[in-house]
Amino acid sequence: MTVDSADRAPAESKAPTAKHRRNRSENLVLVRKVWPWIFLVALLATFSIASQQMNQVTFLSFRSVQGILLYASQILLIGLGETFIIIAAGIDLSAGWVLGFSSVIGAQIMQSLYASGASPVVTIVVGMLGGTLIAVVPGWINGLLVARVKVPAFITTLGMGFLVEGVALIRSGGYPVAQQPPYLGPLGNGSLLYFWPGHGFTFFNLPETATNADFQSIIPLMPNPVFVAIIVAAVCWFILAKTQFGQHLYAIGGNFEASVRAGIPVSRVLIKAYILAAVVAGIAGMVWTARFSSGAYNAGEVTTLNSIAAVVIGGASLFGGEGTIIGTVLGALIIGTIQYGLVLLGVSPFWQYVAVGLVVIFAVVMDQFGRKLGK
Amino acid sequence: MAPILQAINLTKRFGGLTAADSVSLDVNAGEVIGLVGDNGAGKSTFIKMIAGVYRPDDGEIRFNGQPVAFNGPRAVRDLGIETIYQDLALAENLDVGANIFLGREIKSRYLGGLIQTVNRPRMLEESATTLTRLNIKIPSLTQQIRNLSGGQRQAVAIARTIHWNARLVIMDEPTAALGVAQQHEVLTLVRTLSDQGVPVILISHNMQDVFAVSDRIVVMRRGKKVGEREAKKTTPDEIVSLMVGAEAVHEMGVIPRALSGIQESL
Repeated sequence: MTVDSADRAPAESKAPTAKHRRNRSENLVLVRKVWPWIFLVALLATFSIASQQMNQVTFLSFRSVQGILLYASQILLIGLGETFIIIAAGIDLSAGWVLGFSSVIGAQIMQSLYASGASPVVTIVVGMLGGTLIAVVPGWINGLLVARVKVPAFITTLGMGFLVEGVALIRSGGYPVAQQPPYLGPLGNGSLLYFWPGHGFTFFNLPETATNADFQSIIPLMPNPVFVAIIVAAVCWFILAKTQFGQHLYAIGGNFEASVRAGIPVSRVLIKAYILAAVVAGIAGMVWTARFSSGAYNAGEVTTLNSIAAVVIGGASLFGGEGTIIGTVLGALIIGTIQYGLVLLGVSPFWQYVAVGLVVIFAVVMDQFGRKLGK
Repeated sequence: MAPILQAINLTKRFGGLTAADSVSLDVNAGEVIGLVGDNGAGKSTFIKMIAGVYRPDDGEIRFNGQPVAFNGPRAVRDLGIETIYQDLALAENLDVGANIFLGREIKSRYLGGLIQTVNRPRMLEESATTLTRLNIKIPSLTQQIRNLSGGQRQAVAIARTIHWNARLVIMDEPTAALGVAQQHEVLTLVRTLSDQGVPVILISHNMQDVFAVSDRIVVMRRGKKVGEREAKKTTPDEIVSLMVGAEAVHEMGVIPRALSGIQESL
């Protein structure tokens, strides 16, 4: 039974010199890190020129930048959770459906609380907490199955996606969950800041002294969903880049076996990551619910794949071990810009899919290209 | 002085096969022991019993005079017996500091421990200290492991065991996948370890390596220890004949053709 392996291939025998290596690895880092920035700038420039030429619309206006951010915010939220999972060499195909599930559950909590006479504020707080926290359940089950039962993440989360979609459908009957308390819509569609030239700033609400005639000149800054996405992104960045949990995710994605042997509690770390991803999807679900003043099972239908695309564009490797929050933010911005830009140009929205698909493939090609340089 | 490690009559059976048959070995402080044998001779089985991977069917392991109960590889590592396997168990996507501290990261605490962050500067600093202590030169500790040479990776794996106060290091074919210059670096490192009082058990097929660093050479064949020689008082020919069985050499009168490769490397 003793196996002494003498017949290993000398993998390192063709190792290039150290200097050679370093130059190439610098190229690798450069290509993979820089191209999304260049791409985003090029995209913005292209859309600016094209919209000016074709529709005489200024693309880089305040409003359209905020529009892009709003488009990007839902992709970003799901993408943030997805970043954790993908770095640990997994994938979460259920995230978008967990978003819808949370949205339905949260909206139903608010609907029934408000109907039973609770104050709007209590209703909204309880409903949002409930809708967000219910996401722990699918996240935890995902994590258990992947980490302990060793079901491939792809299968686990695909199944979980169907499962929560089904539950949300059963609970809502497939209809939007409306009859929401007041304040919910304004909360979801309002902005953090309003700037009224000549009068100054106000937080959260339009200036009280402003009349309907003034509203045209008041500039809303930072839509609330964008604000939520930025806060969540900052927290996720901190967790991933600064904490031991984040470090362990990179280690697990980089070398699973080595992580086990180094004593990293691999299962616990993975379960935490899936719960985290689901909770972020839950937050995204509540943001959606607030924006549309209702809950819907399919609120995140197209978001899962868009967000995985964003993570990949941001330089994460589907083999694990690579990826950053900043990259995911960039990826989400690129997809948001494409979607918003094409709408502004009056291109059929169906072309969005073609464009996003091309960029994702381009991202993977750049990744491969970078890897080749690094070898 | 009492031996650091005593393996006494360790036996391991797999079904009808006795993979290690009553193998004994003493390891003293600062000693490098070359453990040699053909494929299937039982070296790995023997080592895995010491490393706590296999439970011995018979025999006893004593570490610093104390009997070691079978409690799995973690318990053995906690005693200070570190095994470096061929795959090195490094995370290629992380830097040198992160790998030396893999699973045992240094943390900074804020707000009474509510927020804890990984203290990378200190991890790099302490890694640098350990590497210096072992005379290991790696240009940049913030390099990902994937950008290091095979010899440098081996050095990082060794530095990791030393950083965590290994008191006995077992290395499984450390030079197998390396170029000549890097082999030399790793062997120097083995010598450095023993000079600092850390004994090393070196499993190798390469006679040159074994003779270059070992104080004692232990030969296994078909599950049994068939010889133990001081490196200075033996020859590669004697070791090879022990490996294949002295009778075989006598019968044929020549070194069997299968071993001609080893012969050439001598």
